[in-house]
Amino acid sequence: MLRYAILLAGCACAAAQQPSNFSATHSGHNELVIKNATLLTTTHGRIEHGSVYVKDGKIMAFGTNANAPASATVIDAEGKYVTPGIIDPHSHMALDDDVNEATNPVVPQMMMKDAFNYTDKAIYRALAGGVTSSLLLHGSADMIGGQAVVIKTKYGLDRDQMLFPGAPQSIKFASGENPKRVFGEKKQLPSTRMGNFEVMRDAFTQAKDYQRQWAEYDEKLKRGDKNATMPKKDLKLEALSQVLQGKMLVQIHCYRADEFLTEIAIANEFGYKIRAFHHALEAYKVPEALAKNGIAIATFADWWGYKYEAWDAIPWNAVMAMRAGVRVAIKSDSDDHMRRLNQEAAKTMRYGGATEDEAMEMLTINPAWIIGVDDKTGSIDTGKDADLVLWTGYPLSTTGVPERVWIDGDLYFDRALPGLGMPQFQEGQ
Amino acid sequence: MTKSMMRFAVTASLLLALAASAQQKKTNSAAKGPATPAAVTDPSKPIAITGGKLLTMTHGTIENGVLVIENGKITVVGASGSVKVPANAQVIDAKGMTVYPGLIDSETHLGLTEISAEKNTNDLVESSDEIMPNMHVADAFHAETMLIPVARFNGITNAIVAPDSGDTLPGQDSFIQLAGADATQMLLVRDIAMPLNFTGKQRRNESFTTAQYPQTRMGMAAQMRQAFVDAQGYVTKWDEYYKKKAAMKTGDPLPTSPPHDLKLEALLPYLDGKKPVIVKAEEPSDVETAYALAQEFKLKMVLDGLTQSQSIYDKIAEWKLPVIVGSIYDAPKEWERYDAVYKMPGELAKRGVKIAFASFDAHQVRNLPYAAGFAVAFGLPYDEAMKALTLYPAQIWGVDDQLGSLDVGKTANVVVANGDPLDVKTDVKHVFIQGRETPLVDRQTELRDRYSNRQ
Repeated sequence: MLRYAILLAGCACAAAQQPSNFSATHSGHNELVIKNATLLTTTHGRIEHGSVYVKDGKIMAFGTNANAPASATVIDAEGKYVTPGIIDPHSHMALDDDVNEATNPVVPQMMMKDAFNYTDKAIYRALAGGVTSSLLLHGSADMIGGQAVVIKTKYGLDRDQMLFPGAPQSIKFASGENPKRVFGEKKQLPSTRMGNFEVMRDAFTQAKDYQRQWAEYDEKLKRGDKNATMPKKDLKLEALSQVLQGKMLVQIHCYRADEFLTEIAIANEFGYKIRAFHHALEAYKVPEALAKNGIAIATFADWWGYKYEAWDAIPWNAVMAMRAGVRVAIKSDSDDHMRRLNQEAAKTMRYGGATEDEAMEMLTINPAWIIGVDDKTGSIDTGKDADLVLWTGYPLSTTGVPERVWIDGDLYFDRALPGLGMPQFQEGQ
Repeated sequence: MTKSMMRFAVTASLLLALAASAQQKKTNSAAKGPATPAAVTDPSKPIAITGGKLLTMTHGTIENGVLVIENGKITVVGASGSVKVPANAQVIDAKGMTVYPGLIDSETHLGLTEISAEKNTNDLVESSDEIMPNMHVADAFHAETMLIPVARFNGITNAIVAPDSGDTLPGQDSFIQLAGADATQMLLVRDIAMPLNFTGKQRRNESFTTAQYPQTRMGMAAQMRQAFVDAQGYVTKWDEYYKKKAAMKTGDPLPTSPPHDLKLEALLPYLDGKKPVIVKAEEPSDVETAYALAQEFKLKMVLDGLTQSQSIYDKIAEWKLPVIVGSIYDAPKEWERYDAVYKMPGELAKRGVKIAFASFDAHQVRNLPYAAGFAVAFGLPYDEAMKALTLYPAQIWGVDDQLGSLDVGKTANVVVANGDPLDVKTDVKHVFIQGRETPLVDRQTELRDRYSNRQ
């Protein structure tokens, strides 16, 4: 984890100093200045009558006195709002239902990128709701289900052009009702929470053995042992080894307070860090344990009661956890909610009294941190990717809706355009 | 004891334990004092809500208004200073607040489900047959459900309870109020309407090997037509019997009475056009087929759904039927613009259609007003949005003599909130149902308080 922190901090500096280094996947020729807007920056609060100057796909300057050269296209946003693009840290869109390889409870070698259907219109609908980046995760049938993909919602581009450059690899774990139901119905292990966790311990024990076998093999070679046999390369255990080495961000689907504690204990036992608990509807019961371990949550604003482990969900969860020091993000987990995550984040202002800045954090920088891209996006900051949304009205409300969305400085959605409202994409393309 | 029974026993005892500890908490916090919810008003005395912005629905907005509740009714509505407040009234200062009629959700499953994934807590639809008009949600309505106080928390005071739409004719809806000592008090109108579902979801076509009649939409329509024809035949048979009986002379043999059939009898008030059928369809072709079928039997109709019917809005408007819109959160077609469904309420209202909103849900009934707010962002005039949550549903359900507006003489279902009722940030402060203030406490506030105060 420490390694990550250092790595990310390093990136942040580089990005700030040399913004033009990140231009491989976008046209980057847009030079524009959005003027007279109310900026909700996330990291610098609200700025009235603010401007944002964008060049080479980056935010070059922002504030009340942001200077832009005459060459920049001027967009007058009088009476409107500008925010960073929304980051959805939990989505299953564009995976064509290929979300669960539920033939085995531990399949870390599954790569969501292999199932990523970049032509799915759900991406366009998320974009039109102001989402500029999403973490596409596998489902929750498996205890360890596969490696996620991070995308920017550049609908109309090719698959690889949509992948978020430099985003760290996330892996999804699950727990609770889903794995035990899916495998239990097949009369297989796991069918209880005891089974769930033992399956995980077993997997990591195997991964430790695997690491040791390779270490022994390397040691034998070093000692000149000619009879040393190379262990078999196993993609499943290879992936788990990477988790043990801290090379992946661990995202865990987990509902219940007791399960957070068990997950933390297992992570400590095997020596990996948990990046975030997803759903985390009972975080309000044990927020200190999460805060102490630096674990974020990606939660719903007010979903509840759809299953027994969601029966104790309360809409105050996000704010109660936040007040205890937990980094909180609001996520969609839904092709519907991802289209209006701003409303979901605004609910935290009602349930628990989150401030405007706190609600914006839950919508942008905190989910960006969960995904590991908070050095690149998630706030209006100089040097960051120009992922911006222009809103018709106050975004933390029911009636403010996106008017335009830029990603890496390019306009991908414009409500005023006829048809789908996408300058980069025409139907039939 | 079987495995599943054992699981149920465990679940049930856990639930009971939770309920008990919630009760315990209530007692504790009451003892401590600060966590106790604010004392609510005494319904036996007049209550005056003063200084608020009254959204009356029938006669505009009154800034700085006064509303008086007495004996469960609204007795005074007017501008401050222009109306008299009873001397003994308990005053609620609503300065800076919005006062509006209780919201009506035109399609919910309240009282039919507790935990969606736990089968034993669900009584949503009888799926053994598609023609089940003799199912009455009133028979399953669980008045003590934990979901109702949660919905009430956001100012929803009345709702239609409908069975799930898995059958073409799944049974009969009830109209409820979200407060009362028991089911009898809460079920205001039993069997108020009957859903007629034609979305394709009612087909029994999971696979060729397991498919049953009706496997297709043709089958669905034919089966319903047969049911209505049978009901007509049933009426004729009984009419003939009564005629024979009336014409009987002394010494004539007694005519044989036909057997009773509850299924067919359940259809009679609808064949008579006395009660509405709620025609749910999404695609234009389905809307037209279901409409034609209902026309064939001269049924009184309310349309429902229509989420994919943009191409026939003009035709729908010509039918002059009320519409329960949505859900507006349904996904548009692949080729459609992102806002194709969001715009539906605005587009229908523009054509003069009377619309009402519904949550089509149980757990998230509380979010009903936000759908209306979102529709405003996509072209629905604000006043129409408010009316589509209050006055229009009251009219559609035939209860507008009692509900749906702030008018003298109507039942005092009144909400006081600290802002725009349609916005997610607005906090509801007082909810009156039949003039009785309901404490804004539910299982979720109890959990919140318990874990906020934990050591």
